[in-house]
Amino acid sequence: MDLALLASTFVTVFLAELGDKTQLAIVTISGTSTRPGAVFAGSSLALVLASLLGAAAGGSLSAVIPTDALQLAASAGFLILGLRLIIKASAGEAEARAAAEGEQAG
Amino acid sequence: MSSESPTQAEATDPANGEPELADQPRRVWITAFLTTFTTVFLAELGDKTQLAALLLSAQSGRPVLVFVGASLALICSSLVGVILGRWLARVMPAHQLERLAGLLMVGLSLWLGRQAVVHLTPLPSDLLQG
Repeated sequence: MDLALLASTFVTVFLAELGDKTQLAIVTISGTSTRPGAVFAGSSLALVLASLLGAAAGGSLSAVIPTDALQLAASAGFLILGLRLIIKASAGEAEARAAAEGEQAG
Repeated sequence: MSSESPTQAEATDPANGEPELADQPRRVWITAFLTTFTTVFLAELGDKTQLAALLLSAQSGRPVLVFVGASLALICSSLVGVILGRWLARVMPAHQLERLAGLLMVGLSLWLGRQAVVHLTPLPSDLLQG
């Protein structure tokens, strides 16, 4: 085992990932989900599979798969998740306010 | 995995707002898994991480080792993300975090969408420069 190569790959990829949009997405999904284990398993598998696909395609993934169209699909997915969270937050806040007013009245 | 057995506090969490789903912890787990998997997988396709991994594998001639290193790094980075998210959920009120997360996701969505659209249909100014 070439530990130096392993370590350099690890450090390069880890630093490239820190603060990346994907990690931001993982933070938001994990923070608003009650199943951190599922979020961790899903994101890990997705990241490993995506890089395996990239490596298998030898850098020309966009020639094999319509990556732009898929990114557009991901964008739509984020939009739906985001809007659902905003609606849920507003509904939850209204509920909490109503409950607080009910307590004051009672 | 510890999240397989939900506690009673989680099942009746009022912030969750979906008590009927608490009857099916496995389904909730699978839904969370699939949601995360799909969004992360689609968003990550053609990203810079693959680029770095590919460059390294081309130079070194040890693709398996490079892949193992990259995978470990990706798993660690998603673990950091999950832990950060749980920490935020502990220190912030649920509604506030949900709104912030929602806004962040809409922002990410617009950014991803813009990137894809620019790639698919280059702006006239880009064509002139190229």
